[in-house]
Amino acid sequence: MPLYELKNIAHQYNGHLALSIDHWVLESGRITGLSGPNGSGKSTLLKLLGFVERPTSGQIFLNGRKTVPFDAVVRETVALLPQATFLLKRSVYHNVEYGLRLRGLSRLTDNRVREAMSLVGLDFDHFAHRPWYALSGGEAHRVALAARLALRPKVLLLDEPTTSVDAASAQHIKSATLYAHQQWGSSVVIVSHEHQWLHEISHEILYLFQGKLLGSGHRTLLFGPWLPADDRKVYMLLIGEQRFEAPHPPPEAIHQVAAIAAIDLSILPHDNVMVPAPGRLQGTLTSMSLERITGRIHATVGMGSVVFHVVVPPEIFNRGGFTPGSAVWISYQPDDVVWY
Amino acid sequence: MDFLFQGFLQAFKLLLTGDPETYSAVAATVTVSSYAMAVSLLMGIPLGFALGHFRFPGRRAVRLVVDTMLSLPTVFVGLMVYALISRQGPLGQMGLLFTLPGIAIGQTLLALPVVIALGATTVESMDANLRTMLISLGAGRRQLLLGILWEARHGLVEAGLTAYGRVMTEVGIAMMVGGNIKWHTRTITTAIALETSKGMFAMGIALGMVLLLIAFFTTSAASLIKRK
Repeated sequence: MPLYELKNIAHQYNGHLALSIDHWVLESGRITGLSGPNGSGKSTLLKLLGFVERPTSGQIFLNGRKTVPFDAVVRETVALLPQATFLLKRSVYHNVEYGLRLRGLSRLTDNRVREAMSLVGLDFDHFAHRPWYALSGGEAHRVALAARLALRPKVLLLDEPTTSVDAASAQHIKSATLYAHQQWGSSVVIVSHEHQWLHEISHEILYLFQGKLLGSGHRTLLFGPWLPADDRKVYMLLIGEQRFEAPHPPPEAIHQVAAIAAIDLSILPHDNVMVPAPGRLQGTLTSMSLERITGRIHATVGMGSVVFHVVVPPEIFNRGGFTPGSAVWISYQPDDVVWY
Repeated sequence: MDFLFQGFLQAFKLLLTGDPETYSAVAATVTVSSYAMAVSLLMGIPLGFALGHFRFPGRRAVRLVVDTMLSLPTVFVGLMVYALISRQGPLGQMGLLFTLPGIAIGQTLLALPVVIALGATTVESMDANLRTMLISLGAGRRQLLLGILWEARHGLVEAGLTAYGRVMTEVGIAMMVGGNIKWHTRTITTAIALETSKGMFAMGIALGMVLLLIAFFTTSAASLIKRK
């Protein structure tokens, strides 16, 4: 039985469609990353999964049962950490134990608070009685996460948990997230722009754009300007007079944003003898990260202001020649380009 | 200026010697203001919360009416209540004219819009993230409402204090509805008005000081609540 099933979901803010999902299933016991540009609907989706908001239309099933905000099953199962840190005007201890009291778990309070604070790297003796206003931004965010971890939730939803915190706080948050999944079997959904972490931790990364789920894996979005080329094609000019060619956008592509999935791009080291050609581009390898679950390498290739996301299969990577900063080729089939 | 000094001296004398007329006015004031505030808070806090928290059709119109009622002149309220409870009025048979409950009705009408309007403003100004935080930690509907109310408690206490200030200092309602009857419906403010009209400034100042003392104790009690 899937953890979540969303059917015909549409969610609007003041008449603006923020999210539209016809059908989506999320399996239990996995870590799922949500990626996409700002305004793509990631946080909205997370709020709906956390039952903080009710969708404008459509149905959400949790563990096979149609569920709405304030249902008992939600209160016992799901914990959401919003992007904006909000603490009650109380001590750290009382902030962390607040959720336990709400859920009628007061008898567990002391042990759970100690455990949760330890998981996020906050020393109990130093921080427990510190008031909310005596915390740094990173500490406050860790307290907020500790309040969720104290509940040992079956579903943990994290919205940009490592944004605007320092490296040490981010590391504690990442470790605590992994601990929740490994020790308690929590299903975790993470919205983050930190691609490397998402690749390291997630079983699957879903990409959203303009309120729609585009599917699994990263996309490179190209916003133009688009110029006419031969043979009913258009192109976007990249650094070094290179052309990213794509089929002519269909009339229904309102914004004329082209996207190509990371899986549809091939990569080769620059020492391979190749010449520029349509569907073949030269750039600089800017980063590489391991997709821990699949064993594949996720690479980014920069071409001026455009960064292409590429998946490198292990057999290609093992041939060598891939070091950040080195020149590489990427190639694609123009037919794989999708318009929005 | 001598009468000012004499007034302060007499104030202490009246209070320390337990002057029965003064204490009668104090008792009448505390009684009517307590009735008025009890009803205003019991009705006003839930209504103010609802107005600030929920979105419903006509909400802006309701808000406009409540805000307008903040400027209600006390003599106008006195007139309306007088018309209602006088012998020819719809509530005339209840015998409320020239009684303390009659004054309390008028003062409730004065305080209620203050509690509702300031309460709604307090709830509206609460951080939207508070709601998200409470739900995301597992709050039920009742816990959500209570949680927001608790976090808004400072603003709600302020709303109550502001309303209390209006009630304590008004003259028009107490004069028109109560009739300023000695030993019966004479409040501190109506007594001040009477003593001043008789040229007894010292007595007026003494009663004014009593009013200030009551306000001081009330505010001190409220600040204790806010500190928790």
